[in-house]
Amino acid sequence: MDATKLGTTLGTLLTLAWLLPLAGFTVEIFGGFWGSRKSKAAAYLAVACIVGAFIFSGSALLLWGTTTGWSALESQHESAGHGTAEGGHHGASAHAEDPAHAKEPAHAKEQVEAHAEQPAAEHPAPAVAHGTAAKAEAAPAYPKYFSGTIYVLAEFRALRLAIDYHIDSLTLTMFTMVTFIASFIHIFAIGYMSDELTDQHEDHEVHTSHGHFVRPGRFYRFFAFLSLFSFSMLGLVLAGNVFMVFIFWELVGVCSYFLIGFYVERKSASTAANKAFIMNRVGDFGFLIGLMIILSYFGTFQFASRTEGDVKRPGLFDMLRDEHGGIKLSSNGDTVFLNEETATVDNAGVRETKTIPYFLLLTAGLGIFAGCIGKSAQFPLQTWLPDAMEGPTPVSALVHSATMVAAGVYLAGRFYPMFVPEVLLVIAYIGCITLFLAATIAIVATDIKKVLAYSTISQLGYMMLGIGVGGWSAGLFHLITHAFFKSLMFLASGSVIYGCHHVQEMPRMGGLRKKMPITAYTMLVGVIAIAGLAIPHTPIAFSGFYSKDAIVATAMTYAELNRSHFLLFIMPLAGAGITAFYMFRLWFYTFAGEPRDHHVYDHAHESPSVMTVPLLVLSVLAAFCAWNGEAGFLFKMLSASEPAGVAEGLTDQFSGLNLPSHHQIHENHATAGYFALLVAALGAFTAYLFYGKRLFDPADVKRQLSGLHTFLAEKWWFDELYDVMFVRPSHIVARWCAAFDRVVFDGFLHFLARFAVTVAKWDRTFDEQIVDGFVNRLGEVTFSTGRVFGYLQSGRLRQYVTFIVVGVVGIWLLVQFFSM
Amino acid sequence: MKELFSWLLEYGPFSVFALAAVGGAVAVVLTQNVVRMAFWLIISLGAVAGLFFSLNADFVGSAQLLIYVGGTLVLLIFGVMLTASGPFAVKSNSGQLVPAAIAGALLLAVIVYTAYQVSWEDQSSFDPRGAVIHGHNSPQDGNTTRPLGQSFLGARPDKDLGRKDGGLTPGYLLPFEIISVHLLVVLVGAAYLARTKKRKA
Amino acid sequence: MQTVSLNVYLLVAGALFVCGIVCMASKRNAIGVLMGVELVLNGANLNFVAFARYTKLGLDGQVMSLFVIVLAAAEAAIALAIALNFYNNHLTIDVDRANELQG
Repeated sequence: MDATKLGTTLGTLLTLAWLLPLAGFTVEIFGGFWGSRKSKAAAYLAVACIVGAFIFSGSALLLWGTTTGWSALESQHESAGHGTAEGGHHGASAHAEDPAHAKEPAHAKEQVEAHAEQPAAEHPAPAVAHGTAAKAEAAPAYPKYFSGTIYVLAEFRALRLAIDYHIDSLTLTMFTMVTFIASFIHIFAIGYMSDELTDQHEDHEVHTSHGHFVRPGRFYRFFAFLSLFSFSMLGLVLAGNVFMVFIFWELVGVCSYFLIGFYVERKSASTAANKAFIMNRVGDFGFLIGLMIILSYFGTFQFASRTEGDVKRPGLFDMLRDEHGGIKLSSNGDTVFLNEETATVDNAGVRETKTIPYFLLLTAGLGIFAGCIGKSAQFPLQTWLPDAMEGPTPVSALVHSATMVAAGVYLAGRFYPMFVPEVLLVIAYIGCITLFLAATIAIVATDIKKVLAYSTISQLGYMMLGIGVGGWSAGLFHLITHAFFKSLMFLASGSVIYGCHHVQEMPRMGGLRKKMPITAYTMLVGVIAIAGLAIPHTPIAFSGFYSKDAIVATAMTYAELNRSHFLLFIMPLAGAGITAFYMFRLWFYTFAGEPRDHHVYDHAHESPSVMTVPLLVLSVLAAFCAWNGEAGFLFKMLSASEPAGVAEGLTDQFSGLNLPSHHQIHENHATAGYFALLVAALGAFTAYLFYGKRLFDPADVKRQLSGLHTFLAEKWWFDELYDVMFVRPSHIVARWCAAFDRVVFDGFLHFLARFAVTVAKWDRTFDEQIVDGFVNRLGEVTFSTGRVFGYLQSGRLRQYVTFIVVGVVGIWLLVQFFSM
Repeated sequence: MKELFSWLLEYGPFSVFALAAVGGAVAVVLTQNVVRMAFWLIISLGAVAGLFFSLNADFVGSAQLLIYVGGTLVLLIFGVMLTASGPFAVKSNSGQLVPAAIAGALLLAVIVYTAYQVSWEDQSSFDPRGAVIHGHNSPQDGNTTRPLGQSFLGARPDKDLGRKDGGLTPGYLLPFEIISVHLLVVLVGAAYLARTKKRKA
Repeated sequence: MQTVSLNVYLLVAGALFVCGIVCMASKRNAIGVLMGVELVLNGANLNFVAFARYTKLGLDGQVMSLFVIVLAAAEAAIALAIALNFYNNHLTIDVDRANELQG
């Protein structure tokens, strides 16, 4: 089929995959009404929907691959020989083809190489690559991405808000990964959440006045939220414009809020949910600023250009970057000129080249990245993720290790063309600080989930660092591998928690591998993967090794090119060692040695197969998903979507930053690999000494360095710092506002009320004294007059007669006087 | 002499009667004893009857003597006797006499003044008719029985006889009947009022 | 021959009338008051008859005075009955004691 048909088919498939969990959500959320609390129907529906989504995603991937003949993977810059980290880098074997291809129309994936005079390699791979490259150039070029609109929400003159999709190999990989992991986590959760299948669930951590809190079970609601979350995450990945990303960004945040606060009656859980959402919101503030700058200067939100019918709609990337990934700067470097071809023609027919001041482009990039900082729990917004472990373990596995927190890295990758080198530097440093910070805290953490949470933060720092130093594919490679082994480890820890009856503190565990072997050994697979251990010169290496190796190599090259930023290499290296240390510490503490709490140990049991089967499947993938490393399928899938210009590197005269090219990275790959492996092995061995063999007692070290220990155990006092910086001032302001409201507004109202009362009193006095008084006096006067007249009626006859006579005389006198 | 005689004839009886009437009346006022008051009243009323006679109102004078003196005063004396409960002269007039006398004097002054203000000659009514119809003299000349009786029966010959237009002046038949009924009512009422009741001891 | 003028008769009648009024106003005995009433009525009668003689009133004056006499008699009867009733109830004929209708 041709490109447009392929594009629409892929779009339809992925839209279906995206909307299926939503359909599931709308049914499951009413599960309390149509089912009993003991029914698992909601879970089955959720699993069906997510597995259906996986099937659609997988079919889309296969369709894409088979239709394009996997051409995107083969026509890449050579990494065929690097899967085994041999010494002796062969430079890019495709260099041999360069002179031949120099005249060819620019392949979107062809890298313009600086060193064109590499000897033609004798490996068969380059020939194959050449052949396939030649094949590729002969075949019709499938575009790198497929972009289209699903539904236009609103169109306000220039601003067009639409639900659209942007499908490239990265999208397909992410979809498959997310739906795959989500499916297994859904299945795992059926077992883990089974104690909610009752009408009287007793929550041991909520204390009421008479014992523990009892409530109906919420099994169906968990799966409803999981379905909603799946829908949101897939929507985020599918998004074709950054505004749609923002919408789903918020939506995953909301789902995270629901899921963290699942045990809503626990104060700790609801507080943690609030914290997560609010800190995300702080990041989203920056996101919005970035969005507004982009809208003002670019006029559109779309990522990529597309032509719909006869309407050309330019996208952000094409407006900013040319086909080699360069930016057009003015001579003094202050203004960026947007691409001529994508300039709009306004009503008067005048063609106007749009410009954007450089510093605003920088700000926009920083703003968008601020959202990533919030979402991916980077420094300084990292404190919410450890608290988010209040949610059930499947939530931690899905949301806070593999998907939601990865959304930040995904956006950083997707939005990469819009970042100027200074922004990339900031990204790299933030990642660097984060990875170190979290790793040190994880050394002393005792809650099994908290260790994994800090580990997640640290690995996210790695990914950000990778993207920041120019290793676009490396960072996203680590994202995918991390998703697999971190979710595996979270599920394994969930299995441990379930088996130990909701005990999460490692000091109470120990020796559990005899009781829960499957959990223990799948966890071991995950630990080896994250530590990045491998046996050199053999293909025996778990996925984490390849991805971490890629990042370390890129960082090393970057540090070489920019000597002042040497920390960006030292830190990830040190971090790798620390990572290995604390992960093995976790494993030994929990599964090896003697049990420390016999009560827990005696009641521990292996989890049911509904929970162990996902562990097994994920462990296989955690180990082997990055088979062949940079020559492997996964890395090539990711590299196929690399933005233009990443592979060549950049020598920027304005910012003074140089981004490494692929060639330069490959030169350092082996050395970097050795360094990383060495450090990781050291870390693992140290952990073995401390916790496995018990040669040294960690308690001694803790006593010795008690100050440092406290500093680390209190998470570098970040929570207290934020409390003082933000929470307390907010409370003070709130108190002031309340006082102002009470004193001024209420005081005014009370004054009015008192005034009204006083007026009423005066009124009453007036009414009583004057009005009533007048009337009363009138009555009194009448009465007394009447009484006086009453005296005239003495009852004495003779007086009456006299009065008659006097009256007659009087009348006569009157008449006389008046007639005169 | 003759004038003196005629003057005496004219004024003599008049003055006697007038003096008797007024004197009796004053005596009634001044007497404390109620029986003596009755006596002086008889004198006064008798004198008034005499005055009637000197005004040529013979029937009215007779009626006065008959009814007033012979009836009403007897009634009053009966009343006096029936309501006697002690000495007759004990009840003294209190200080009401003086204000009453003053008021009375004022009233008298008013009456006299008014009487002298009016010129009565315009009202005088000596009958201008020439011939005296036999048997029907003007009432001012006495013999008033027949005219009175006729007027009570509804005819007024003293006015209608000699009238040229042939009209009839209404008489006093209706008032006569009313008075009769009135008297009956009064009799019945008085009899009822004065019936014997248990005395409150 | 000089006839007595009307004014003199009116004077006499007025004197009778006033005496009667004074008697009414000053006597404590109820019968005394009644006597005063008789005097008043007689004064009025004299007036009527004087006017009947000296003015155009003619017979009408005498008729009026006859009516007055009759009515006076009736009134005296009633008044006496009332006085007797009063005496029967209060055992006294003093008008000052008949002051229950006072204000």
